Amino acid sequence: MIINKRTEGSKLTIHIEGRLDTATSPELSKELETALDGVTELVFDLTLLEYISSSGLRVLLSVQKAMNGKGTMVVKNVSELVMEVFEITGFVDILTIE
Amino acid sequence: MKKPNESVVFKSVSGIVVLLVVFSAIVSVIGYKGFTDALLEQYSDGALLIADSAALSINADEMDSYKNSGGTTAEYKEVWESLDNLCNSSGSTFIYIIQPDLTDFDHITFLFSTINKDSPYTVYDFGYVRETTNDEYKQKYRALYDGTSSHEIVIRDKGYIETDAHITAMISLKGSDGQTKAILCVQRQMDDMTMARRGYVRRVIFVLGLLAVLVVIGQSFYLYRVFLRPIQRITNEAGRFAEENVIPESKLTESIRHKDEIGVLAGSIDKMEEQIVSYVENLTKVTAEKERISTELALATQIQASMLPNIFPPYPDREDFSIFASMTPAKEVGGDFYDFFLIDDDHLGMIIADVSGKGVPAALFMMASKILLENLALGGLEPSEVLTKANEQICKDNKTDMFVTVWYGILEISTGKVKAANAGHEYPVLSKNGKFEIFKDKHGFVLGGMEGMRYRQYEFEMAHGDTLFVYTDGVPEATNGQNEMFGTDRLLEVLNAEPSAMPKILLENTAVSVGKFVDNAEQFDDLTMLCVKRV
Repeated sequence: MIINKRTEGSKLTIHIEGRLDTATSPELSKELETALDGVTELVFDLTLLEYISSSGLRVLLSVQKAMNGKGTMVVKNVSELVMEVFEITGFVDILTIE
Repeated sequence: MKKPNESVVFKSVSGIVVLLVVFSAIVSVIGYKGFTDALLEQYSDGALLIADSAALSINADEMDSYKNSGGTTAEYKEVWESLDNLCNSSGSTFIYIIQPDLTDFDHITFLFSTINKDSPYTVYDFGYVRETTNDEYKQKYRALYDGTSSHEIVIRDKGYIETDAHITAMISLKGSDGQTKAILCVQRQMDDMTMARRGYVRRVIFVLGLLAVLVVIGQSFYLYRVFLRPIQRITNEAGRFAEENVIPESKLTESIRHKDEIGVLAGSIDKMEEQIVSYVENLTKVTAEKERISTELALATQIQASMLPNIFPPYPDREDFSIFASMTPAKEVGGDFYDFFLIDDDHLGMIIADVSGKGVPAALFMMASKILLENLALGGLEPSEVLTKANEQICKDNKTDMFVTVWYGILEISTGKVKAANAGHEYPVLSKNGKFEIFKDKHGFVLGGMEGMRYRQYEFEMAHGDTLFVYTDGVPEATNGQNEMFGTDRLLEVLNAEPSAMPKILLENTAVSVGKFVDNAEQFDDLTMLCVKRV
């Protein structure tokens, strides 16, 4: 998994490439621990995300909860496979997917 | 401990002894030679001095008359007396005057011959002729007659059998015409010299021998103390440590206080032993801890497995439905679970769930969820109510953002009516008229993710012979070495291979198929399935 972060003022865009599963989720979680300070607009670009497991969903859920009080969070460019996971797990209801 | 075959001390000391022997041999030879040279010089100077003083009393011009006197004239006797006196008073062995034959110096004729009265020899008679002893004498006689030298020395010092070591000084007796008329010889024994020399060599050998013994003892003792004993201690300690693996009562550096390499070695051994012991202790602790955890996990596996209905067939007297379920955790304990229970005689509750993550945290979360869901379900609540209430309960205490996906359905056995609700779980697979298909049901959000979630309930019917198959994502997301997923298509393929088989067979076929697909890749996720067939 490769994580790319781009900051434009208070907007943070995160590109995730590869597989987001039990093995790699802790890495994303750690990356985001500090990165969210002062961010009011968070964008996850999942163009290159191949797979997301429940561990990955949990990270997204945590971030969504963290962002709820302080700004917006958008998930975009979701592949069909990942979208299916979002649908099955009901994440489509709580995430803003573009 | 094996003793070394060759002692270091023996090697070192024997080397020194060899050196000493060589050294003493060289010293002896040099001393012997120096001693001999010095004494010989002294002897020859003395002999020449005596010869010179003897010559004073002889008139060489009278030599022919002495020769012709037959040794009986008063003049002859006077000279002989003076020579004899000189011979005895000077301690010479032999004073004599000779005339060699002047052609080839092969023979000498004795004109005067006196001998020390203490010596064992006897005088040669007047006119006695004998062969010249050897070529050396011959050359010297010739030189004296040639006039090329006025005095010569002959040394016989080689342990001759017939005579002892002696020195002979020869001077030419020249007439007034400058011609050599005869040769005067003074012979002195060198007994004293050889005795002194022998004593000297003996002393040298004795002193050096004594020195060698002292050096051997001293060096052995020294080597033993500074070298061998500490090395032996270190060797013994290393051997002891290899067998016992405990820190010694007293450290090596306490007995070996050298500041040299041996001291450093002793220090290193002490340090190494401490480190090994602490390492072993640490390793033992870690291993024990690991074993403890492993034992506890094995126990946890059993507890978790026993929490789920695990006796099949669970309802042997019921012939109107058949149910089978299985859970295979990827680690010792898993986050997946299934559950089923008869709410009453006609209602069968079925749960399949998957906690986010794996291992112990997921297992703990799973246990709490399982108990909570079962309690709510047995209270007779509708599926949507069960999930809504469970979500509230889980969210209330959920600090870790873990969640659980749950499908809960109630089968009314007599009618085949199923009421169900889905909290973010995989789509059920349903066979109607002998063909399995994905049943895209209405999905709510996962349990424990967000407070205030509502779960919609839906209904469907199962005719006799219809089969419902629910599973966790471990089935479609089982991944092989090429990173391909098993997927729902392959799942449907397996199920449709024997669509009317009993649940037990369907589950076994699926497990086998997943196993074949994954092949050697590690089972990455928990694998859980539940299947019910209305007979």
